[in-house]
Amino acid sequence: MKDFDLESLSREMPYKMPEHFLDDMTERVVSQIGKQRKQHKERRIFALFAGAASVAAVALLFLHPFGNGLNIPDYDSISQCASVDEVLQTMSADDLGVYSMMSNYYGN
Amino acid sequence: MNSQGSLSVSDESIARLLCDDSHVDEAIRLIMKKYGEQLYWHIRRMVVAHDDAEDCLQETMINVYKYRSTYSNEYPLSSWLYKIATNESLKLLKSRSGFTMSVDDLGDSLKDSVREEASPDADETLILLQEAIALLPAKQKMVFNLRYYDDKSYEEIHQIVGDSVNTLKTNYHYAVQKIKDYILEHQL
Repeated sequence: MKDFDLESLSREMPYKMPEHFLDDMTERVVSQIGKQRKQHKERRIFALFAGAASVAAVALLFLHPFGNGLNIPDYDSISQCASVDEVLQTMSADDLGVYSMMSNYYGN
Repeated sequence: MNSQGSLSVSDESIARLLCDDSHVDEAIRLIMKKYGEQLYWHIRRMVVAHDDAEDCLQETMINVYKYRSTYSNEYPLSSWLYKIATNESLKLLKSRSGFTMSVDDLGDSLKDSVREEASPDADETLILLQEAIALLPAKQKMVFNLRYYDDKSYEEIHQIVGDSVNTLKTNYHYAVQKIKDYILEHQL
């Protein structure tokens, strides 16, 4: 039976690699990676700003208008007042709106 | 740095540069100088067409950058690079085969590309050898190429392909037999 000695063959390839191909490829890859790094950096900065904006929004929710930002006199000042009418006189028009809405809600 | 200088830079130094954000470009250049040609031919032997090899090599290097943190120095850098290049080649072949066919069904079309891609002055036996390789199932093709052309040990091929050494030896044995049969059958 005929046999073929593979080891005796040249390891050469029947194809050719274009001239300067590897140098051009290196520059293309480096430039592509540079773009990706830039995009990654921009995404990180955006995420940082988005995170800071979220924290600020949550903080605002707590501080205004349902928190201390609402101009409702505290318990001590109310207890020192002669009547509810006097308390109402110290409130701004906006606060009065909120007060009347809450009064309606609680049925007062 | 000249080409000779790049070749003498150790893999450990290249790996260190690769993991240092301020030296990534330098690491990529060194990898291309030291391994670019080997990787190109490894890919080309799998996908045959130069344009496909070009796309695969570019994706390989982008993945080297993207997944650089996954490189573990318990394996040689070259094995890691060959593994990425092999995966990229298989990915491209898979995209060509579509949903209904497997990569192994691409043999005939890859075989046809061999003659189209061959240089006009190429040796006929070398063309026949590439045709025979193109017809092999993907696993046998990978093992044969890594052993025959890249002179890799079975241990290194195991690091790249993942199968046991015995399985790799069997794959190589079958590949050699099929290639010999093909060349004997088609040689004038």
